[in-house]
This record gives sequence, C-alpha cells and structure tokens, in this order.
Amino acid sequence: MPRALLVGLALAGAGAVPLVANNYVLSVLISLAMFTGLAYAWNIISGYTGYLSFGQVTFFGVGAYTAAVLIIKLHVAWPLAALAGGLLAALLSLPLGWIMLRLRGPYFAIGMLGLSRIAERIAFAWEPVTDGGRGLYLPPVLDLRAVYWAVVLVAAALVGITSLLDNSRFGLRLLAIREDEGGADNLGINTTLAKLQAFVLSAFFPGVLGGIYAWHVSYVDPVTAFATQIDLTAIVAVLLGGAGTVWGPLIGGVTLSVLAEVLWARFPFIHTALFGALVIVTVLFLPKGLADAFRQRGWLAPGRAFLRRLAARPAPLEAAPE
Amino acid sequence: MLWEPVLWGQLLIHGVMLAGLYGLLALGLNLVFGVMRVINFAHGELVMLGAFLTFWGYTALGLHPLVALPFSAAVLFGVGWALQRLLMERVLGGQPMAALLVTFGLSLIIINVGLLVFGADIRSIPVVSGSLRVAGFVVPKARGLAFLTAVALTVATVAFLRWTAFGRAIRATAQHPEVAITCGVDVRRTRLVTFGLGAALGAAAGSLIMLILPMDPQSGSLLILKAFAVIIVGGLGSVAGSLLGALVLGIAEVFGSFFIATVFGEVMAYVLLLLVLLVRPAGLLGIAER
Repeated sequence: MPRALLVGLALAGAGAVPLVANNYVLSVLISLAMFTGLAYAWNIISGYTGYLSFGQVTFFGVGAYTAAVLIIKLHVAWPLAALAGGLLAALLSLPLGWIMLRLRGPYFAIGMLGLSRIAERIAFAWEPVTDGGRGLYLPPVLDLRAVYWAVVLVAAALVGITSLLDNSRFGLRLLAIREDEGGADNLGINTTLAKLQAFVLSAFFPGVLGGIYAWHVSYVDPVTAFATQIDLTAIVAVLLGGAGTVWGPLIGGVTLSVLAEVLWARFPFIHTALFGALVIVTVLFLPKGLADAFRQRGWLAPGRAFLRRLAARPAPLEAAPE
Repeated sequence: MLWEPVLWGQLLIHGVMLAGLYGLLALGLNLVFGVMRVINFAHGELVMLGAFLTFWGYTALGLHPLVALPFSAAVLFGVGWALQRLLMERVLGGQPMAALLVTFGLSLIIINVGLLVFGADIRSIPVVSGSLRVAGFVVPKARGLAFLTAVALTVATVAFLRWTAFGRAIRATAQHPEVAITCGVDVRRTRLVTFGLGAALGAAAGSLIMLILPMDPQSGSLLILKAFAVIIVGGLGSVAGSLLGALVLGIAEVFGSFFIATVFGEVMAYVLLLLVLLVRPAGLLGIAER
C-alpha cells in the first residue's frame, strides 16, 4: 500500500515539525494550515458546487465566538470548545443554507456577503454574550504546539474529505450542479439536498477553525472574527490553486503563504492591492489555476481520479458484432 | 410604536431624501448590469473615488461640491471607459463568475490605492449647513440639496435612455446584443459608454453623499451593499424597480434606526435584501436572468 504509506509519512512529517521548529516557524505554519483549511472548506461549496460565496466567514466567526464563550464562561477545554463551534456553525448553516441556496450566481454571492455583515452587526449588538466591540479576552496561549497539531489535523481531514469527495458519487452530483443545475435536477439528482450537504460541510470546518483561531490569538472581536479578509484569502487561494480540484487549495494556500512571507511582508501598504491584482491576473491568465498548469506539465496526473480509473479498466473481450 | 403624525411625517421626509441618493447610487450599477449582465463589484469604490475627487476639489481648489461634481463625474467616465476597454472586455461573454471576480479584485486595488493617496481619515465637506422649515417639517439644507440634485440627475439619465438615439442603442444592447448589432448598433462602443456612464453616475452620487455623510476610502464597500439592496429589492435591470427599491430602503433605514436601534438602521439594507431575495429572487419588478 504505497499510497497509505505516503499519507502516513506526510502526516508523521507534518506532526513532527513542532519538535524541531521554533515559535516563529510554528506561527507561520499555523496560519498556512488555517488558510489552507479555509480554502478547502470554501472549495466544497464554491469550487465543486459552483455556488460562489463571499460570506463563509460567517461560520468562522460563529465558531470563534462559540468557542470563546464556552472557554470563558464554562471553562470548556479548548479543543472541545472549537469542535462545539464547528457543530453550532453546521447547525446554523442548515436553515441558512436552506434559505440562501435558493439563490443562484451573483445573488447567492451577494446574499452571503450581506449575511456575514449582519452577523458582524449582531456580534456588535449582542453585548451580554459578545461584549460588543470590546471583544472577548481568552487566557494567553504559551505553547503553540497543540494549536499547530489541531489546525494541521483539521486541514489534513479536509484534504482527505475532498479526496473522497472527488472520487464519490456525491462529488459527481456537486459537479453536475455546478455545470448545469437544471440538467442535474432532470437527471434525478436531489439538488437541494446535495447543495445543502455541501454547504454544511463548508460551514462546519470554518467553525472549527474559527474556534481554534480564537484560542490561538486569545481574543475575539466582531471586526476580526467576521473579517472579509478571511474569506478573501481563502477565495484567492482556491482560485490560484484551482477551484474544484483536490490539490488546488493546498497549492494555492502554500503559494499564497510563501508570497505573504517573502513578498508582502516587505510591502505591507499595498498588501490588499496585490491581492486584488492576483485575483484579476488569475482570472484572466490562469482561469483553471495552478493545478491545471501543473497537470499540463505532467507534475500532476491528468483528469479526475475516477475518470482515470474508468479509462484504465480492461476493454471488453470482443467488439460487439455489427 | 406611537402614532405621532408629525414625527412619522418627519421620518418619512428623511427617508425619501435618503432614497433620492440611494436611487442615484444604484442607477449606475443597475445600468451596467442591464447592458452587460455583470455586477460591478467595484461600483462602491468608483463612488468613493468620485467623492474624494470632489473633496480634493473642495480643499485644494476651493470648489463647491456641486461645482466639482461634473468634473469628478467626467474623470470617472474616463476611468469607467478605460476599465471596460482594458479589463471587462476580456471577461465579458466568458464564465459569468469571471467578471464578478475581476471587479472584486478591482475594488480591492482601488480601496488600497485610495488609502495610500487619501489616507484613512474620515472626510466630509460641511459647506451647506442649517435647515429649512417646510410646512412644519424640518429639512436640513444639505440633505435637501443632495436630494434635489440626485433626483434631477436620475430624471436626466432616464430621459437620456428613453428619448435619445444613444439611449435607445443602450436599451437595445441591454435587450438583445445580437439583434442590436444587426440593427446597426455599435455594441462595443455602447458598452464602453455604458460602463463610463455607470462610473460617472456613481461619482455624482459620491459627490452628493460627501455633502451629508462623512466618508473614508473604505466606505465604498458599505455603499455597494446599499446599492445592491436597492436594485435587488427593485429588481436587477429595472430602472423603475430600483427607484422603488431606493424608497423602500431609505424609509426602512430611517424608521429602523429610529424605532429599533441605530445599529439596525445600518443592517436594514441587508435584512431587506435577504427578505426580498427569499420571497422574490428576481426582485419586486425584476427581469429574469438571461
């Protein structure tokens, strides 16, 4: 089983990093894994299903606040609190998805953006729980290793889930919806259910990551928890890497983090403009992302895995008689 | 809630005055959508640029905002034309999301450039102050002036679209580009002018907003959500609908701020937007997506 071995080695390698790395390297890697994870989550609803969302940060923020409140008021252990953040985000995404997924195209994108702004306002206004604009303070984290392991675990889980998704009928249903929702409906796909399932997946993981984030930075306030910038980074990572692919978000996330460290740290004042320029350049010149460019150079296997398996099946023994 | 005719009338007047501005704010966005089926995510940033050009005219040259307005509109017309020529033409007709993403990237660039050039300070042009009493109601002069100018510009634009040859070309391109071509309409040029016009209308709205509300380079993102709310409530692509949408939003915002909480006045745009999207995804007077 070379594949299982490879996965095991990769996980062991990633898990062993804190044994040798210092805190600076760890915090860079935490943010890399965080944004890669968010990119994978966004990729399910927007990359595979084609429902471009400008508001998944809503669930990130809900997770962050849930975890913070549980940790402060009920003294829940932080990994459990982060998990609870994910669960509440998923629970919330059921009615919200049922409502929002009736919208298509730009309407959905803008509707989600509006939703995230409403969530931010609620966080400002709901003072008894969120302490409004002052924000919630958590005990400071001294040991980054546990945070690192948690984030890497979530990101790895998302890579695994996306890989399963890409090889499953469920994934095919989502792709069918992306390409032609009416057609998918006509083929007997329960599009409402499939979209909702994808949406819940794309809400649960940002919720968990939000919870870990709250613990990691020891502080939550409405502006940072529901920052459009968080969605933006995930979106740019997916577009750059390749939407609707297994490795795209990872390629994009790593590329973006490297760019951020090497290039943008030197030009902090034009950080946002560089992001914008990257979006435009990607859409114009790399519409299928880096994953596609890698495929064309033979660095990644072409096509989807299930198509490769179909193509590799032995041919029927004889050609059918005329 | 108390029924007090004077108070309600006063709130209604404020709501309608705000609606005049929102109508102009949304008009450019709606025009571009109608003709190109593209939501210009950077519209709020074009509004912001117009507002800051006017502010610059006021501080550096001492121009009254209403005098500076035509100049900033003209500059933004050129900006819009250039954006269409250099960027939008490349993505039109391709993936529908490509155009949305390009304008999204554009808005980020403009916000960043705005912060670098104008700084992050909140600016306003308090040249018009005081208020009038009309039939027992208080009308702040600045708001009245902004409202009247916005309405005049909106009426002029609608008249232009309705009764001039070029307006007809724009409407023909919106309805059916292929047929417009066979009728001799230069569709490419029409689209260039439309994007320029959309930006110019946004700039005019920005100049007027500067009269009554303080702005900073990041205000565009708040304004675009209001413009979205207006045209989604009214229906994308429908001018009459967006006037209705502006009225609904302006009045809802004023009453929401007064009776519930100021915070919810701001949120009112999104709440309305979501409610209408739920009940009528194409808007109250909307046209179906092509």
